[in-house]
Order: sequence, then structure tokens, then C-alpha cells
Amino acid sequence: MFSFFNKKSSAKTAKDRLTIAIMSDRQNTDAFPFMDQMKAEIIEVVKKYMGVKAIDIKKEVEDGVEALSIDVQLEKN
Amino acid sequence: MGIIIAVISGKGGVGKTTTTANLGLGIALNDKKCVVVDFDIGQRNLDMILGLENRVVFDMVQVMDGEANLKQALIKSKMSPNLQFLAASQTKDKSVLNSDKIHKLVTDLSAEFDYVILDAPAGIESGYEHTIEFADRAIVVVNPEVSSIRDADRAIGILDSKSQKVKDGSEVMKYLIINRINPKMVQSGEMLASDDILDILNVPLIGKIPEDKGIIDASNQGKPIILDTNSAAGKAYARIAARLCGQEVPLENVEEPESGLMQKIKEMFV
Repeated sequence: MFSFFNKKSSAKTAKDRLTIAIMSDRQNTDAFPFMDQMKAEIIEVVKKYMGVKAIDIKKEVEDGVEALSIDVQLEKN
Repeated sequence: MGIIIAVISGKGGVGKTTTTANLGLGIALNDKKCVVVDFDIGQRNLDMILGLENRVVFDMVQVMDGEANLKQALIKSKMSPNLQFLAASQTKDKSVLNSDKIHKLVTDLSAEFDYVILDAPAGIESGYEHTIEFADRAIVVVNPEVSSIRDADRAIGILDSKSQKVKDGSEVMKYLIINRINPKMVQSGEMLASDDILDILNVPLIGKIPEDKGIIDASNQGKPIILDTNSAAGKAYARIAARLCGQEVPLENVEEPESGLMQKIKEMFV
């Protein structure tokens, strides 16, 4: 089939974009079904010692190493 | 005990209800007792696709609440004596669903039917979670298009973490159906090919369905397209139904456009 514009096939673009979007979805959302409970428990532990405003937990994958990154935002004194 | 199969998609409008109707009828035409249940509470549609909208008296919520028994609520299809249908409630809210009642309903149905097919609502909310809760298998319907594939992946993620089978340490068997394939667009690189979709989703393929104008006509009339044995989509659904019934049917490459002189001549006029 010939095209006057010789544009890059958009199916290829779709595949590349989807692969990245889905990888990031899988890492950050339901990677752990127990995420909400774990969050609540970590908040409880930290709260014993200091005020907690918010907590964010993410699974990160870099160079084949999986890590859990936990950001705890503290309340101002 | 019959097999409980949930038909899921994540995104709406990809052909989930059409697929449920056609596979239900297809399985029934393979001499298996089959019931299709509409789980889309508040947005009942499977009755229209099956041409049974005028015969609904009781719905599945009334059965779950004990206001009607299964015998009263099940509707027999005229298209096959092996096919029966249970309607969604049109007036109630999906919050009426609860796990115990659903478990009883699907267990009762699987005692009477070889195949229990549940048409899930779109989205990944509680209505969806309840549909997949007690499923043995899931059919994932996608279109070759980015939003459908991404949403399907989310729905699969929830299936893999929240179904009872998974909680019991087992697995829900999944099958992928790629619906509305436009062979010409795949050939010219304007539409994702099924191999690309399989790379991304990691779910085994059970069938590919080409885009078919006859689908609209079939839903207009309430006669699933599988009854039109000359239609491309009808043939594709028949092959999938046979596979679900355990027959070995080779996958057909619907992405290869029809060739031959007549086709070329036809194309000159469209």
C-alpha cells in the first residue's frame, strides 16, 4: 500500500504509548490489594511519635530492582 | 456444577453485551444448557439484544431478595430451547448487591445450567467487582484501540486480586476477545494488530471478531448476529462458542482482508 505522506504508522505509536501507560498503571495502582490497609497501619505507627499529614506509597522498578517508596508528609509543629 | 463465566471489558461500548448474547446463544446451539445474566443493574440491555424485552416479569434482584423464584424469573429464548435469560433490575441501584446473595444466585444457576454467563457492567466499581466475585473464568472483550486496552488491563488487575478464586489461592482462567477489527486498517498500520494487543495484555486469545455492519441490524431486530451464518462476525462468534464448549477450532486470521477479483471490484465502488 502506498501513502503520499509516508507517515509513521499510528498503530506502532499506539503500542509504544500503551506499553508505557500500562506499565505505570500496574506499578502504581493495584500492585498490592492490601495497599490501603498497609497505609493505614503505617500512619498509626508514625502517629505514635509525630503528627502525620499524608502518606504516599509507590512501587518503583528500576534496572530490574523493585522497591517500595514511602513518602510521609509530617504536620507542621 | 456448571461453569461460571464473567464477560468483562473495563471500558463501556466495546461490545460486551453483544458478545454475551452471541456466545450464550452459540453455546446453547452447541447443545449445552446455558443461562445469560445481565449484571448491569439500572442499565438493562441484554434483554433488547436477545429480543426478550417484552417478556421480563421478574429480575435478578427480586430473585436475590426472595420476591420471586428462579423459575418465575428465568426467560426461555425462542431461538434455542437450551438458552435462558435473567434480567437486570432496571429500577434498583447497584448498592443492593451483596456477596452472600450473589453467591447463592450463581450457585443455584450453576446447579441447573452447564454454562452461567454473567454480563458485567462497564467500569471497575462495585457492580463490576460483584460480577467477577464468584466467576470461574472471565472473557475479556477489547477493541483494538488504546483506551479500551488500558481499561481492560485495570479490570483484569481487579479480577486477579478480588475474585474469590484468587483469594482461595487459585486462579480465574481468562480469555481475550478482540472485537471490531478493521482488517484494512490493520494492514495499513493504522490499527493495532492482535499480536500487539496480546503482547501488552498477556491474556490468551480465544477469538477475533471483524467489524461488521450487520451487528447494528442484529441489535435493531433483537436477533444476535450468530444466527446469520453468512456474516463475518456471526461466524467468528460461532467459532468462539465452539471453543468454549471444548472443541478445537483453529484461529482464523480475520486481519487478512478478503482477496480476489470480486472483492477488488466491490472496493472500487465503496
